[in-house]
Amino acid sequence: MTPLARSRLRSTVIHLVLFIVLGFWMIPQVYMLSIGLRTPAQAFDAALFTWPVTFDNFVTVIRDNPLGGIFLNSLIVTVATVAIVVAVASLFAFACAILRLKGSLFLYTTLLTTLMVPLASMVLPLAILLKNFGWVNTYIGLILPYAALGVPFAMVILKSFLEDAPRELFEAARVDGCNAWQTYWHVALPLVRPALVFVTIWQFIVTWNEFFLALIVLTKAEMKTLTIVPMQYSGLYMANPGALFAVLTLIALPLILLYVLVQRAFVRGLLAGAVKG
Amino acid sequence: MRAEAVRAGPATAIERRPASRTSTLYLFALPATLLFVVFVAYPILWVAGQSLYIRSGSGVSSFAGLANYVTVLGDPTFWIVVRNMLLWGVITIPVQMLIGGLLAYFIERHTHALRGFFRTMFFLPVVTSVSVISLVWVQIYAPYYGIAQEYLKHVGFVMMTSPIGDPKMAIYALILVNIWQWTGFSMLMYIAGIANLPSEVLDAARVDGARGWRLAVYVIVPMLAPATKSLLLLGVIGTLQTFPIVHLMTGGGPNRASEVFGTFIFKQSFVLGDTGSGAALSVIVLVVALVLSLLQIVTLGARLTPAGKERA
Repeated sequence: MTPLARSRLRSTVIHLVLFIVLGFWMIPQVYMLSIGLRTPAQAFDAALFTWPVTFDNFVTVIRDNPLGGIFLNSLIVTVATVAIVVAVASLFAFACAILRLKGSLFLYTTLLTTLMVPLASMVLPLAILLKNFGWVNTYIGLILPYAALGVPFAMVILKSFLEDAPRELFEAARVDGCNAWQTYWHVALPLVRPALVFVTIWQFIVTWNEFFLALIVLTKAEMKTLTIVPMQYSGLYMANPGALFAVLTLIALPLILLYVLVQRAFVRGLLAGAVKG
Repeated sequence: MRAEAVRAGPATAIERRPASRTSTLYLFALPATLLFVVFVAYPILWVAGQSLYIRSGSGVSSFAGLANYVTVLGDPTFWIVVRNMLLWGVITIPVQMLIGGLLAYFIERHTHALRGFFRTMFFLPVVTSVSVISLVWVQIYAPYYGIAQEYLKHVGFVMMTSPIGDPKMAIYALILVNIWQWTGFSMLMYIAGIANLPSEVLDAARVDGARGWRLAVYVIVPMLAPATKSLLLLGVIGTLQTFPIVHLMTGGGPNRASEVFGTFIFKQSFVLGDTGSGAALSVIVLVVALVLSLLQIVTLGARLTPAGKERA
């Protein structure tokens, strides 16, 4: 066999293996969609695929449930959290990396410890704190704790990007008469755009899917976010798996679609971050 | 304390203005600090304080020293939790690294046109809501109508009951779900590492005769050490905050066999309303996390972020 033929064969085999592994990997998602597409008669069949398929379940669950409102709750909490995290973390990273304020390194190290704190140990005190603030069942009651827990990660990424940016640019901005705020807005933020995109997407995923704190803070039905409603549907549609899995598919879909749309920018940010390792 | 101008010299400090102007620069650091103080530091101090008090039935708190800790450590469930957490970490972390690393290696080094496709597809479980995933896996594991028992019997593996209903199997069945969900994350971390390997080193290794598996094992794996260390650190913290999968799939059962720290804290604090022992448990988890993390950072130089550029 010529080297070219051998390498082509190897590439084919590797692709084949990857597709087989992926096929197994996708079983849960395919199964979810497949049950959602079943008629009541097939709903309990122990098979990955059944035929024929029907969209009735999707029609039913969309008609019978306030999914739009729940989606909106998730969107409000997530977008607000992401906006706060990106703003607050970039300001702090700028203070550390560019302004080099006295004491900022100490603050940076202190804030970093947040990354080592498991949320499981924070839910009890946060629940009590939010109760005292009267923030149970409010958006702000989730947004601010999420932001506080999200800022340190974003700040680490943004700080390291800023430190790698050419300092002459910041010097030039100063010489041109920019004050610190103008330098932050017109020089620093555009320079770290890949990092901002990466941090935005990651924070969006984490916030959208957060479960533990949302479960405790949001008890009123009209405040609930998408991650915590599947439980109640599993009770509601116990005898009707087709409807349950149709609703689960709809709940999972927005973030999956969003990720597929932005994955290129996300991975680019991740690769850029590691490039000077 | 009055803020003063930074004295790091002209090459480093951008702002060299009078002290009165410099103090406004602290506004850059203020929001992050405030969030940290109110929503991280204060709750931690509060929970540490609360762990020393016992609330009686009438709602009056009295100082109890370490009584809550003694109660918690004497609870047999606590030791089930410790065992489950050890199993969780010891199984999940290496298996995810292995599968994620293999996927990353083959995707990055042997695919071209489909690279983005594979990267995205294997990452999808990470972005799928954990509550959806949990309910789907309950269905997969279900007796009679679940697909696991149906298909596994063709390969000679007969399941009479749902593995999550069996005290001996439950924790492993949950670990499997967790591995499935998060392997894509390990893969992406290794992809970032592999994509950024310096090509001179790989070329040099190739000239020295390292190819295929030898290249992978003796050159690439050691060079991915930073990603591996980050994954280890994130894996330990992730293990300690395990909650949704267990809460939704078994609720810590059957008979508390699959209890983890998250569900145990949840039950003590919010179901039983025993804030004293809930607080003591929270402190224990926090201390374990901090000690294990700092140990790794000091001994291994592990880093907390996937984009491994952080400097000391």
